[in-house]
Amino acid sequence: MIQTIKLVFSNLTYLIISFTIFVSMLIVLLILSEYVFLEPYVVSHLPPGTEFGFLLIVTLSALSALVIPMNIFRISILKSSKQKMSGSILGSVVGSIAGACSCGPVGFAVISTFGSIGATTTAFLTNYEIPIRLIAIAVLTVTYFTTVKSLKIECKINS
Amino acid sequence: MNKKFLILGTIVIIIAVAIFASSSTPETVNLDITRTHGTISTSMGSPILGNPSAPITIVEFGDYQCHQCYNWYHNTKPSITREYIDTGKVNLVFVDLAFLGNDSPKAAQASYCAEDQGLYWDYHDLLYNSQEPEIDGGWANSERLKAFAFSLGLDMNLFNSCLDSEKYSKRVQYNIQQAHEHGVKGTPGFFIVSSDEQQQIRGAQPFTVFKQILDPMI
Repeated sequence: MIQTIKLVFSNLTYLIISFTIFVSMLIVLLILSEYVFLEPYVVSHLPPGTEFGFLLIVTLSALSALVIPMNIFRISILKSSKQKMSGSILGSVVGSIAGACSCGPVGFAVISTFGSIGATTTAFLTNYEIPIRLIAIAVLTVTYFTTVKSLKIECKINS
Repeated sequence: MNKKFLILGTIVIIIAVAIFASSSTPETVNLDITRTHGTISTSMGSPILGNPSAPITIVEFGDYQCHQCYNWYHNTKPSITREYIDTGKVNLVFVDLAFLGNDSPKAAQASYCAEDQGLYWDYHDLLYNSQEPEIDGGWANSERLKAFAFSLGLDMNLFNSCLDSEKYSKRVQYNIQQAHEHGVKGTPGFFIVSSDEQQQIRGAQPFTVFKQILDPMI
């Protein structure tokens, strides 16, 4: 497993991709979930009782930063199918939108634009924020293990 | 002579107690239909919490079902109350932006039904202390809103008829309209208003941010 990770991330390009995904996803999710504010001052804030939500965001960002570059590696270097890529993208997107649609600007925009359907969607994504993020993490974890497995097989075949 | 002093002293004490009792109650019923704070019409908002003649007003746009409003209420508001509202430097007005679910407007209307009986802020506090994680999960439905009123000892005939008749539906809608007009795109949203300045704060920001804005304005 470690060898597979070394194989992918020994290439600087994938290391940069991974770092970019982690940082950008973490910042965006922390802003959307109101852990970080940019106005009127840049300030971070971890209210009591929201620590688990914060931990899930960090885990989600880290897993996305691990799995997505590995799948890009599979597609671009090994010319493999794009099928497994969808798992990593799905996990990242679902996990991201879970907390975004609360009482913040995204939820407000969704409700203002889509009316009662938007309100129902927002309520669902807010009520089940933690379970949805856990499912997204589970999807990314499964994708990670299947990617590692297929990389091992494909690398042996290609080498 | 002594009897005269005794009577005079008793009258002075009664007057002093009456003045203290009236000044220590932060709640004032909102009867001013022309009330504005900066560019915001707060005439349909909550009664003023704190000193009505304080030089600075915090206008909070909020929803009773909003989790971030709950966070702000429990984590930031106590410090603001202690350092600025209780000391008479700042007062606060709550204006509804009830958009999150079907129970949000109803909860906002219920708060004004409680205001009819002089207990707006008690009811407001009770709602934020009773908030449950699930939006429209039933914690703020009509039955529960009536139960909250009962627990505060409100006249239930008055409260029920007020809530069931949707007496304050238009009032809540007016407040939501104020939020739209001032570009509030989420809750909680704040405006810090002084005589010559108006600054917006978006989200459940920590006390340090409010302090950095309030201190130079005082």
